[in-house]
Amino acid sequence: MRDVIVVGGGLAGLVAALRLRRAGLHTTLVHMGRGGLQLGQGTIDVLGYRPSLVAHPLTELGEFCALEERRGGPTHPYNLLGVEPVRVGVGFLRELVGEAMAGDIETNVLLPTALGGLRPTTLYPASMAAGTVSLDPSDPGALHDGSRVVVVGIEQLKDFSCQLVAQNLATIELPGGGRLETRSASVSFPGRGTEADSNAVAIARALDRPERRRDFVAALGRLARRGETIAVPNVLGLTDETFTAIADGLGRPVFEIPLPPPGVAGMRLTDRLTDLARAYRVEMILGSRVIGAETGLGRIRSLRLGTAGHETDLEARYVLLAPGGFESGAIELDSYGRLHEPALGLPLAVPDAELLNDSWAGEQPIFRTGVATDCTMRVVEPATGEPVHENLYAAGGFLAGAQRWDEKSGEGIALASAVRAADSIIEQLKES
Amino acid sequence: MADLTVDVVVIGGGATGAGVARDVAMRGLSVALVDRADLAQGTTARYHGLLHSGGRYVVSDPESARECAEENRIVTRIHANAVEQTGGLFVVTPDDSEEYADGFLAAAASAQVPAEEITVAQALAREPRLNPGIKRAFAVLDGTVDGWAMVRGAAESARAYGAHILPYHEVTAIHRDGDRVVGVTVRDVKAGADKRITCRFVMNAAGPWAGRVAALAGCEDVDVVPGRGIMIAMNHRLVNTVINRCIKPADGDILVPVHTVAIIGTTDVKAADPDKLPIPRAEVQQMLDAGEALVPGFRRARAVHAWAGARPLVKDTRVSASDTRHMSRGMSVLDHASRDGLAGMLTITGGKLTTYRLMAERIVDIMCEQMGEDRPCRTADEPVPAAEGAPTYTVTHRLADREKDRRDDQIICECELMSKSMFLDLLEEDPSATLDDLRRRLRLGMGPCQGGFCSTRAAGLMCAAGARSSVQATDELRGFLKHRWIGLWPILAGGQLRQAALDEWIARGTLDIDHAPGQTDPIEPYPVGTEIDERDRARARAVIGGQEVPA
Ligand SMILES: Cc1cc2nc3c(=O)[nH]c(=O)nc-3n(C[C@H](O)[C@H](O)[C@H](O)COP(=O)(O)OP(=O)(O)OC[C@H]3O[C@@H](n4cnc5c(N)ncnc54)[C@H](O)[C@@H]3O)c2cc1C
Ligand SMILES: Cc1cc2nc3c(=O)[nH]c(=O)nc-3n(C[C@H](O)[C@H](O)[C@H](O)COP(=O)(O)OP(=O)(O)OC[C@H]3O[C@@H](n4cnc5c(N)ncnc54)[C@H](O)[C@@H]3O)c2cc1C
Repeated sequence: MRDVIVVGGGLAGLVAALRLRRAGLHTTLVHMGRGGLQLGQGTIDVLGYRPSLVAHPLTELGEFCALEERRGGPTHPYNLLGVEPVRVGVGFLRELVGEAMAGDIETNVLLPTALGGLRPTTLYPASMAAGTVSLDPSDPGALHDGSRVVVVGIEQLKDFSCQLVAQNLATIELPGGGRLETRSASVSFPGRGTEADSNAVAIARALDRPERRRDFVAALGRLARRGETIAVPNVLGLTDETFTAIADGLGRPVFEIPLPPPGVAGMRLTDRLTDLARAYRVEMILGSRVIGAETGLGRIRSLRLGTAGHETDLEARYVLLAPGGFESGAIELDSYGRLHEPALGLPLAVPDAELLNDSWAGEQPIFRTGVATDCTMRVVEPATGEPVHENLYAAGGFLAGAQRWDEKSGEGIALASAVRAADSIIEQLKES
Repeated sequence: MADLTVDVVVIGGGATGAGVARDVAMRGLSVALVDRADLAQGTTARYHGLLHSGGRYVVSDPESARECAEENRIVTRIHANAVEQTGGLFVVTPDDSEEYADGFLAAAASAQVPAEEITVAQALAREPRLNPGIKRAFAVLDGTVDGWAMVRGAAESARAYGAHILPYHEVTAIHRDGDRVVGVTVRDVKAGADKRITCRFVMNAAGPWAGRVAALAGCEDVDVVPGRGIMIAMNHRLVNTVINRCIKPADGDILVPVHTVAIIGTTDVKAADPDKLPIPRAEVQQMLDAGEALVPGFRRARAVHAWAGARPLVKDTRVSASDTRHMSRGMSVLDHASRDGLAGMLTITGGKLTTYRLMAERIVDIMCEQMGEDRPCRTADEPVPAAEGAPTYTVTHRLADREKDRRDDQIICECELMSKSMFLDLLEEDPSATLDDLRRRLRLGMGPCQGGFCSTRAAGLMCAAGARSSVQATDELRGFLKHRWIGLWPILAGGQLRQAALDEWIARGTLDIDHAPGQTDPIEPYPVGTEIDERDRARARAVIGGQEVPA
């Protein structure tokens, strides 16, 4: 019999499945579609704001958790987990992807955004390394006072305004003092034929082809002046090799700036993890929605999958749910104002506050809704803390308590909880 | 010294004021139309979108019904570009008695409102999503009208006849010389300067704000009670025909397909202040139930946006009763000469957007009489410039346009098929236009994603075009999203809450908009009321006055 079914193909699901598989467990990954990872920017955010800017995510996690403790309402995942699982989770990802991700778990960096701001993150793809601004006084960082940056837009790509980015970046006082010197420029580079409107994926796909890549490198080479770092939108290929080829071709620092979805860097990371899962022979059942479960004696016996017109029951000893939050439809609010977990009807931990309010700039408590777990990531009744099923675990955006986009904590929570949940299951199976 | 001298100043750039300004201009008088904000952003941006056939009023108010039927034909002709001839149905749902329906056709005939009964099968063939349990159905000539396009059309027509069109000019004082009105002071909100306009006559068409405007002239106690109604837009056209419930007019009894959405409405609750119109949850639930009665499964469709508008109810015992022949139904005229002993000012409120032209004709007749001018109304005679030779609106026209230019132009707003050149052309015409001003004309950010994707692109274009600095463009983006939120949070559920989560990931997650240059919680550059905005208003004043902005 199968040891574990992991539900969800985002960062948490993929990493949990790999962790379980590496421990030798028979693991099946079920998902409805690829997760939020490929809609995001491909960085690993551990903790960016608490709400002040975080320079050292692990050291500052304690203070963050102390504040969260005082807030009340559903417990924040980091309060359940503590620092160590975060270190282990992020470390495990590094082990999986190797050099594709750069950065240091102890120290955040700032990366330019598509609005020309600077945003904190912890690990970042190698293709963003030349754009990092240091938060560590002992490290000058790639960009610092007086660094010259040419922000290059692509005429056919509407999701990136090089003028806006360049002008805004130049207004920012850097953490180490001083400013960047920026200017903007643009090139014409249709993804296909002579189209006027190309999305990031079409352009990235074109750049995977050597002959188109040569044209692009030549155009950038003509634009850039001596001593300038080149900033481009996140379009430099669907594979990591494309970036290396472009950087080598240019012979000068170049970096990518993340865009709204679909995120090319996020797609690269998803691809890499999916390929690894295949290589490790994680059984994959794609395009399937979990629509129910058969339970008995306090355990889940099997999950019911709805796949293209017929239903299948899948048995396993353990179930690990990582289906995401509101954005992926894993938690729903119906038109009567009732919250549901549609797959299994699990109890939800709901903030004790007006769930939605009129303040655009303020927090919307509803987004802290999710499932409650104990510190092993086993799903519990929020009211009593009793396990809902002995063998049901959860990870990632499905967990209650966090405001991920405000905290810049999404990937950190996903990794820490996925690895923690997987390790709990591994321990349990060892014992039995 | 006057900055401008005209015969007539019209206060309020909603449907009523725009209609009056056009009428005055076409009669050959000089006129200035002023609004404290953009044209058509008050009640005229917060209504239901229905171009009445008259059917709604055949039983309760036949005179009103007749006026609607007549004006429907005229508005369709003179504003063809703004009107969609959807047709309408009156249906008796399983919950309704047939008593009202029994008298419907006879009442329609006597009010001269075209109507015919069709079989339930025919009604369902026409609108397959309709409740299959309906008992009877009547077809009428309802249409839908884009209030923004209609007002813009009327204003452009007035301009062609020499009118001064001055949006973002708030009247702060009305000047009198003894018992005569002689002019107004307006604040040019965008430039932050005061201007003086001298005139012979003032037409107060400030809708639910008319009482406040009248007070500026020293005419106290014009008691205008706002009657608040909410509407909810569903994410697509659940129906292509206006669906009325065939009952005595009540809450939530009409479903109107407008552009890409279907709008359910409305309610009627007294409000204290037209600048503070809440969208209470109980009313949202009431509207969703009402939708469900007409279209089963309505609640599972996605509500994308909600808004509230205010009918001005004038509670004034001194309303001039002598001149009813001059009145259109539902409209109130205050003659300040007889009421307050002040010559040269009339206040006009109420009525319907459908009959805006007729209301204007009637009140401008009164004005001409008082000014001793004999000039006939010509507004029904010719179409506004934008409608000349134009066919009536069809919802698919943008798709046809994009099919033609998709190789050469970018689509900035996918939900509403708004192209880059549409946006840049308007911005070039008026570089001071805000994203919200442009939205009202282009439908930017009005579809399911509510600006999640397109507004960032639009802000980028404003900066690239040189209309804004990067910091201004970033604040403009924040202001736009903040505005959209007003009509979003009261209805968020289901797919739209999922969308909102994605939009949050984009704006706060990927773009980290809260920490980008500019203000985290943006001030409204041109605030016009509401609780939240009062704080902004004070801050904006401080900025305009060159003072430091309090944090
Ligand atoms: C809920 C609801 C639904 C409706 N549905 C329909 C419908 O489906 N069909 C239909 O035909 N009619 C409908 N109506 C009626 C229709 O909306 C109104 O008749 C019409 O919009 C009124 O326009 P107005 O110009 O009188 O007022 P407004 O559009 O409110 O214009 C008044 C203007 O005055 C301006 N103003 C205020 N103070 C000042 C100042 N000091 N200086 C300068 N300007 C100032 C305001 O900014 C505002 O723009 C509906 C009304 C409501 C409330
Ligand atoms: C026919 C029609 C069709 C529509 N279709 C869609 C659609 O498909 N999709 C969609 O998203 N929306 C649609 N809307 C709604 C529209 O986008 C706005 O929500 C509505 O016009 C309110 O405007 P707003 O968002 O600018 O105002 P709000 O967000 O309500 O408020 C913005 C500003 O207006 C001020 N304000 C508030 N109340 C008033 C008032 N009564 N008068 C003057 N100022 C006020 C506030 O101070 C604030 O600064 C439609 C509206 C109409 C009339």
